[in-house]
Amino acid sequence: MGEGAWKLAVPLGLAQFSFFLAPLLLLAATSFATDENFSQFSVQAWLDVLGDSFHLGAVLNTLRLGALAVLATMLLAVPLALLHMVAGPGLKKIILLAAVLPLLTSVVVRTFAWIVILGREGVINTALLSTGIVSSPVALLQTEPGLILALTQIEMPLMLLPLIAALARIDPSLLDASSALGASLFRTLRKVVLPLALPGLLAGATLVFASAATAFISQSVIGGGRLAYLPALVWQQAMVVFNWPLAAAMALTLMGSVLAVAAALSALARGAQA
Amino acid sequence: MTDLSRRTVLGATLGLAGAALLPGRPARAAGSMTAAVYPGGWDEALRAVLSPALKQAHGVDVAYEPLFAVDQIAKARAARGTAPFDVFVLDPGPRVSGIDLGLFEPFDPARLPNRDKLPAGYADTVGAGVAAQVVGIAYNPKKLAKPAGWRDLFKPEYASRLGLTGFGTTFGTISLIEMAKVFGGSESDVEPLFVELRKILPQVAAVAQPAAMAGLFQQGQIDVMYTNTYTVTLLKSRGVDIDFAVPETGAAAFGTTMHIAKGSKNIDAAYQYIDTMISTPVQAALSQAPYFFVPVNTGVTPGADVPVKSLDELKNFVSHDWSKINPLRARWIDRFNREMAK
Repeated sequence: MGEGAWKLAVPLGLAQFSFFLAPLLLLAATSFATDENFSQFSVQAWLDVLGDSFHLGAVLNTLRLGALAVLATMLLAVPLALLHMVAGPGLKKIILLAAVLPLLTSVVVRTFAWIVILGREGVINTALLSTGIVSSPVALLQTEPGLILALTQIEMPLMLLPLIAALARIDPSLLDASSALGASLFRTLRKVVLPLALPGLLAGATLVFASAATAFISQSVIGGGRLAYLPALVWQQAMVVFNWPLAAAMALTLMGSVLAVAAALSALARGAQA
Repeated sequence: MTDLSRRTVLGATLGLAGAALLPGRPARAAGSMTAAVYPGGWDEALRAVLSPALKQAHGVDVAYEPLFAVDQIAKARAARGTAPFDVFVLDPGPRVSGIDLGLFEPFDPARLPNRDKLPAGYADTVGAGVAAQVVGIAYNPKKLAKPAGWRDLFKPEYASRLGLTGFGTTFGTISLIEMAKVFGGSESDVEPLFVELRKILPQVAAVAQPAAMAGLFQQGQIDVMYTNTYTVTLLKSRGVDIDFAVPETGAAAFGTTMHIAKGSKNIDAAYQYIDTMISTPVQAALSQAPYFFVPVNTGVTPGADVPVKSLDELKNFVSHDWSKINPLRARWIDRFNREMAK
């Protein structure tokens, strides 16, 4: 790379500074301000977030939702990605198309579709009632399991695509070698395929976690008002209550905790690659 | 390839891209303005009735920005003096916030040629009343008997089908206050409401954001909710089984007002917009199907399905003092979150 190569990064660097870093610093300042002109500062907003059991509960709920969405997408994506690895070209295309399809519909439409599916008179309940499996509608909408079910579909591409890419990079001769040396299919999977797919799996986990933990529309529409998650509280404090310091402190708490989990996952990924 | 030719290509490309963007932007000539409007029924109604009338009478083009009242205040406040739109449309609570925060231009009713058609006091130094809203109970007549009042919502057969929403909106706030009153509370004391809510909470069908309520009703997740008559007529026009019930303690009514945003560059157009809004033809069209607006123009006879037959009747509706409610609302919103959390 030439001497002045860094100059190529200047336009993006400037844009990132003025449109991302500067507003972020302003947000941080807002969380300590007691008025709009930043004339006085206090740590009250932070005490209200970190010293309050309801708000701390919302932080933990949000992280837990992200973690459960990661587990659920992983559980479904791993077998599907393995199938993609061994499938013929026709089936490969179908799996990829099915994986990308959710990305092509708007999040609002997807979320509303889940109301139609999960609702009291929705597809699932109608099916369960008509087959006589249950006698009264099962509560799915506005429950954590219902929300995780919806997020699993919504976030699936973010897990599946990195995983498929990681599996595609595995040299097929490694699998042949493993079986020639007497390893069972399961042992090959456990000792060869999964360790090599780990970076893809962790990349997917990071993306799904960050996206599910901050999925404002899905959380508020499918989750409802009885499940407290940070994104909806941030919106409410900023837009309805006008308590900007509290909203800013909550937003930074959300960002900080999501970043911490993402950093931990990427550290794991580096460890896996080393 | 020389540097120059690369630059020429780049410049030409950028020029083309810029030119492609231009026609998409509305012309910012003297005859154009931006108005905030409530999403949903209001948005549809004003685009269909007010926009063409304004264009015809004054040659002014209006672009709408769909925002709930609180969002308009939040946006104007965040803009710090640069008006994000020219005209607000607000409920009484956000109206008081807007006055307190100094978000409105001083308003001169004399600049509305149609001001004589408004009842006394409907146009003042901050803005003009353009419609009224009536809040009560909406229910599915195929699933539930007509509820007699707010107290009925706490009976098991209604509670298990009830959709709750908090103090985030005007209709939510006044409905919850009316419920609190039934149980011995008042405009400044909603504690009795929380006591009763705690009893029914495990059975309640849904607790949701205000914007999600209509969808939940349409999908049969909830069969009873509190809302304004506009939501009821809009859903009805879409074929949803929904009826409006006036509670025995009276439906609550409040005025909807328009205000000119501080720092607006289109003040003349903004006055023309508000004046056209209160004009007889526009008010008459808005009071008919499928909009059923409560007219403020004294020359207009409301359509058959409008919940208020005359403005005199409006005086019999329950009204609220928002200068008392506003300071308490942040605490109520927070309290509602905590009470509802599982």
